[in-house]
Amino acid sequence: MEANLHHEAISEHNPIYKRRRLLNRLLMVVSLSMLLYGLAWLAWILVTLLIEGGSALKPSLFTEMTPPPGGNGGLANAIWGSLLMVSTATLLGTPVGILAGTYLAEYGRDTWLAPATRFLNDMLLSAPSIIIGLFIYTIYVAKVKHFSGWGGTLALALIVIPVVVRTTDDMLKLVPNSLREAAVALGCPMWKMVTMVCYRAARAGILTGVLLAVARIAGETAPLLFTALNNQFWSSDMNAPMANLPVVIFQFAMSPYADWQRLAWGGAALITIGVLGLNIAARLILSKKN
Amino acid sequence: MAELNLDIAPKIKVNDLNFYYGAFKALKSVSLDIPEKKVTAFIGPSGCGKSTLLRTFNRMFELYPDQRAEGEIIMDGENLLTSKRDVGLIRAEIGMVFQKPTPFPMSIYDNIAFGVRLFENLSRSAMEDRVESALTKSALWKEVKDKLHQSGNGLSGGQQQRLCIARAIAIKPKVLLMDEPCSALDPISTGFIEELIGELKKDYTVVIVTHNMQQAARASDFTAYMYLGDLIELGKTDDIFFRPKDKRTEDYITGRFG
Amino acid sequence: MDQTHISSQFDADLEDIRTRMLQMGGLVEQQVRAAIAIYADSNLGHQETIKATEVRINQMEIELDDRCTHLIVRRQPAAGDLRLVMAIVKTITDLERIGDEADKIARYAISMQERGQVHLPGFSDIHIAASTAVSMLKDALDAFARLDVSMAGNIVLQDKHIDNEFRSVLRQLITFMMEDPRTISTALDIIWIAKAIERIGDHAQNIAEYVIFVAKGTDVRHASKETLEQAVAS
Repeated sequence: MEANLHHEAISEHNPIYKRRRLLNRLLMVVSLSMLLYGLAWLAWILVTLLIEGGSALKPSLFTEMTPPPGGNGGLANAIWGSLLMVSTATLLGTPVGILAGTYLAEYGRDTWLAPATRFLNDMLLSAPSIIIGLFIYTIYVAKVKHFSGWGGTLALALIVIPVVVRTTDDMLKLVPNSLREAAVALGCPMWKMVTMVCYRAARAGILTGVLLAVARIAGETAPLLFTALNNQFWSSDMNAPMANLPVVIFQFAMSPYADWQRLAWGGAALITIGVLGLNIAARLILSKKN
Repeated sequence: MAELNLDIAPKIKVNDLNFYYGAFKALKSVSLDIPEKKVTAFIGPSGCGKSTLLRTFNRMFELYPDQRAEGEIIMDGENLLTSKRDVGLIRAEIGMVFQKPTPFPMSIYDNIAFGVRLFENLSRSAMEDRVESALTKSALWKEVKDKLHQSGNGLSGGQQQRLCIARAIAIKPKVLLMDEPCSALDPISTGFIEELIGELKKDYTVVIVTHNMQQAARASDFTAYMYLGDLIELGKTDDIFFRPKDKRTEDYITGRFG
Repeated sequence: MDQTHISSQFDADLEDIRTRMLQMGGLVEQQVRAAIAIYADSNLGHQETIKATEVRINQMEIELDDRCTHLIVRRQPAAGDLRLVMAIVKTITDLERIGDEADKIARYAISMQERGQVHLPGFSDIHIAASTAVSMLKDALDAFARLDVSMAGNIVLQDKHIDNEFRSVLRQLITFMMEDPRTISTALDIIWIAKAIERIGDHAQNIAEYVIFVAKGTDVRHASKETLEQAVAS
């Protein structure tokens, strides 16, 4: 008798079970179609970029300067300017970001300053980049009275900092406390514990954060419009206006000239491939760690 | 009650120690002697304060600002709690092994050299000797001698724990604290560690916290039973497990707890 | 042990072993009484019962031994529990020996009867020794059942009396044998019986000592009277 009690409920024909199975199928179909919907747009963007920009990806893109309307040319000065500003901004922002993140995760744990800083940092993280551009314009560009590579670099560095602060903070918090205790129990001073043990343990995560920050600033246009502006010529002078990919894309894409528009597509494809590459690199580093 | 009437000199003497987590009193006027070059086990149900007591010896609790200890912990005539010496030096004298193995994210060799370099500037060959002797003492040398420069994370759990023991003894401490060192290990690895503890007491004073009463019975010379922040009974392990004096100890040892 | 064990099965197992040991003790006590009855009343009717009981006692010893081993292997008893199990293991050995001694008494009593009675005075001394031994055994088992330390202490001290009785019986019988060699066979049988009774007293004393060991954790075997009294009082 008792055995029957159990067997009757657990059966293919149990209405509760049937309804749940149906619901399960339904939800799976819906979520899968949503996924395809999202992916489709992304694929469309990538395909369009590759088709339109692919034709512009010629050696001359990397060797020739931005041309006047109707002329032949490439994006060499813009690529160089972008590389120069992005790398300088990363070099400026990363140490600040890592040290601030370290304070939040390691030293400031029990102070009021850490949560307050973390809150402000999160605000900065989501602040529209145009505001950052305007800010640098006001405090730097307007003061020195001309657009410059330094202005652009400062604006980009300001965007790097909160990203790196956040990832450093998060990654250091993922380091198990037992590891810190183990280091301290050996008689290790705190700074050595942080640099020799915690950084090593969080290395991959922090590096990933830096790469993502680089990917983020590589495509930023708004802050550069107010700071570095643009330059028709090859320039390594950080005190002068400097060409850069996003602003050139912005300018050329808006223009009525077909050859400028094609160069804009090429630049867009270049940035997208670069960002994609950085993201893949970040993934690889993280997965290798795990 | 906590005075051991034996000929063995105490390495650490705890006098009237009180400990607080914020407002909560976790140790209530605990006094006991830790005999030199013997293994002393702290047993008791969860939350009895055994780990807390262990962590006062190397002042680990100072990492957490709401934790506070009052009283005396005397080692070599010095109150460790009020010592003016750098706390790093005290911790170097009192090594610690944790519940979960905690290899640092570096090579096996560097895991051991890390602690040594904090206090000593050894030549390359002297450091190699030190690493070898620490690994030999912790019964790991034969297993890792060909992969010293591989990551410590690649070892099995039991090997990692022995690596942590090697790391602790490489800086030549006087006392070795072990906080449930086998709770994450399988019985075979546990057996290795217990065997190792028996070897270590030739050179070190060992204090071990364990949930496993059989482990205390197997591995220790002295056993202290704690309950709700009180030290109930400290005695020779044979006596505690065969003829405990206190009814509460007897109830716990025989499984009539609750 | 007023608090129950986390595992009720453990408590049940331990209690079961203890009860069975006490049952075995009851059988052994009965066996001793029956054997002494053969000697005292020349009543041979008990013979068959004695044989059957002897077999049961031996079976119980093996069975209890097995249960104790089982309990140690499966439960790793500690402290008071461990002392109890160890004391039971030893007690059943003593009980089995007492059973053997009872068997011996019965055999010599029967052989005396078959040979025909040669009258020897001084048997009353043996009766006293026998009843002391029986009551010691009974008290030792009672003390075990209640873990009564002071009772156990008294039993240990009592054993001296039986030893004295045995010596006085021996002295008397030696005198008889020297005066009249025809009494030698019977006297020797009586000496064996007296010796068996004395041994029963020794075993009862052992059991009483185990009671102190279980309750106090002190081993009072071969200890001085002072140590014994100290252990009982502690």
